[in-house]
Amino acid sequence: MHLDQEQIQRLLHRELPAGVEASLREHLAGCGDCRGRLQSAERTERVVQGLLRRLDHPVPRVDARTIEAMAGAPRWSEWSRWAAGILIVLGGVTVAYAVPGSPLRDWVRTLTGRVNGGPARAPAPPIVPAPQAGTGGIAVVPGPRLVIQFTSSQVVGQVRVSLGDRDEVVVEGPSGGARFTTEAGRLVIDNPGSSATFEIEIPREAPWVEIRVERRRIFLKAGPRVTTESGAAVQGVYRISLAPPRG
Amino acid sequence: MTAPPDPGPSFCDRFVELFDADFPRIYRYLDRLTGEPELAADLAQEAFVRLYRRGALPDAPGAWLITVALNLLRNERSSRSRRRRLLTLSRGERAHSDPAPSPEQAAEAEDSRRRVRLAVDQLPERERRLLLLQAEGYSYGDLAAALQLNPASVGTLLARAREQFRALYEERLDAP
Repeated sequence: MHLDQEQIQRLLHRELPAGVEASLREHLAGCGDCRGRLQSAERTERVVQGLLRRLDHPVPRVDARTIEAMAGAPRWSEWSRWAAGILIVLGGVTVAYAVPGSPLRDWVRTLTGRVNGGPARAPAPPIVPAPQAGTGGIAVVPGPRLVIQFTSSQVVGQVRVSLGDRDEVVVEGPSGGARFTTEAGRLVIDNPGSSATFEIEIPREAPWVEIRVERRRIFLKAGPRVTTESGAAVQGVYRISLAPPRG
Repeated sequence: MTAPPDPGPSFCDRFVELFDADFPRIYRYLDRLTGEPELAADLAQEAFVRLYRRGALPDAPGAWLITVALNLLRNERSSRSRRRRLLTLSRGERAHSDPAPSPEQAAEAEDSRRRVRLAVDQLPERERRLLLLQAEGYSYGDLAAALQLNPASVGTLLARAREQFRALYEERLDAP
């Protein structure tokens, strides 16, 4: 009697008790028909595996410690939802302030001028809102030197940095994931409590762009030379953790 | 708010071991199933978070993780509109593409990937899940438990799913 399909598959995947497998292999030794069916099943399996691999993307670098930290992190309470809402509103106001030609700037300037009449500050670099829909973000002309400052480390989330051909540094993250503010030579990403991943595209021609998390430098592009905490780029993207350093 | 249960050192060791062994294959499975790497990473992480919060490993951790991940996927799909996409499609594609190939090679690879994707998507749900899980090396026991199959017929169902997939792919090859 020949092997049935279930037995062929179980032989292929080593899913049989040792005794049963031995007896089936004994049968195979003397049965060309069943050997051929097993070989055909092996071939099909190889072909299918090869095809499925075409769908794959690189496995993200996550370690068990990150999962432990996520599992232990407190969940959002009611007050923190309120706080997040306020931050989102502040973020919106900041972006509205940053848009070229925004009347908000004039109002603020008028108000602050009335209050202290102090000297004008160094002009901030020109800013345009990031063009991507469905994300929050900002675009800023880097000038001769730009520091992108994340105010907080994050238990989860990373920054993905790539070099591009646009003229501006473009920072994107999920809407409400952080608040962006700019001043001369600095772009501040206020991200306390965030678990977002941010995408930053830096102009290839930018002379000097640094990314910092709190006081730690995680990325520096000085001329054509790039140094990062994460090592070389994978497929043109530097993936750098926003987690605090271990130890 | 109650603190998460203290799992004890042996649980932690086993958890780390399981995570190192299983995270890549759960991620790959979900990535192949959904075609969305970001979503796959989120779901795989969340499944492990839930396992950690459980504080003890189940009898069949592989099957448990798959079941949780598939439930999360179902919930995700039912509340799709609430999800905030982290990346736009164009940026996501660019991040994962090979920077080197010629335009012809890139087009060919993309075409091939699309055909595989279509063939996978056309499989009935049970066959699709079975095929993709087995491709990640899950045992027949895990497959039967996670997909609620008769353990005695997993091999037969698998063979059928594989043949069906191959036929669908080849049909696409023949298509103009």
